[in-house]
Amino acid sequence: MTKKKTAAPKKRSRPSSHPHTHGQGHCVDLLRQLSAYIDDELPSDICREIRRHLGACPNCEVFIASLQHTVTLCQHHPAPQLTSVDRMNMRRAILDVANAR
Amino acid sequence: MQEPDEFDKLYRDHVDLIYRYAHRLCGETESAKDLVQETFLNAYQGLKDFRGEAKVSTWLYTIASRACMRMRRKRKGQPEHELSLDEFVPTSEGEFRLQIPMDGLSPEEALQNKELRQALDQAIDKLPQKYRMALVLRDMEGLSAKEVGNIMGLNERAVKSRLHRARLFVRRELSARGITHHDNHESGGVNS
Repeated sequence: MTKKKTAAPKKRSRPSSHPHTHGQGHCVDLLRQLSAYIDDELPSDICREIRRHLGACPNCEVFIASLQHTVTLCQHHPAPQLTSVDRMNMRRAILDVANAR
Repeated sequence: MQEPDEFDKLYRDHVDLIYRYAHRLCGETESAKDLVQETFLNAYQGLKDFRGEAKVSTWLYTIASRACMRMRRKRKGQPEHELSLDEFVPTSEGEFRLQIPMDGLSPEEALQNKELRQALDQAIDKLPQKYRMALVLRDMEGLSAKEVGNIMGLNERAVKSRLHRARLFVRRELSARGITHHDNHESGGVNS
């Protein structure tokens, strides 16, 4: 079977000499913005800064991958189905109550 | 009273959508059916006043969301707690590096892992309702943050804030389970 790729974290720029400031607030600041980053809602300069940080911080890179996987799993969560009998019974019950009021 | 044809069309076109939403919010079948009936009963009574300013689906999502909150209040469970961003800040390198087992798999394939699927269901179910609603509407029903805001009566910023906390919560619940995908695959993905 051909395996589809899961939505991967955005490509990062090549590893840079950005100082790794893990534990000094950078990682926590990043954590606050991860959903906006995943959803492509951040200005390009902030995205660039985040990519630079990811290139220097393996912890954040793993963290963002796991958050992206979480979103992807939610997006593909199978939907429950109603049977035609359920549809019919519920319709009848709704109309019975509505007409009794 | 409404024209039966008008209600029938509304019901026929949207009952599956609202059931799917209700099931995702309630986490189980009977409560979801109760919520669907409550939603369409309210819609039946409000149909004459619906002016089409919003999409019909948005109107129904809104009715369902309010009905769900009313049903929860009636059950009088424990008050919901707020999720603080601080609780999701990893305090150790190990917490940072928790992973969800998806390597090389499509999401559909990964979700054939019964343990992972159950963990996802349980994580969503454990979310306080207002966070669960934001996650379900945005990530599972695929609505925009603006639409979610209209349904929940929030501005976009508040929607995004709740969504982010909800995602972090589910991520932590999933990754902390230490699920492996090798031993739990089901052939059809439906046998539980």
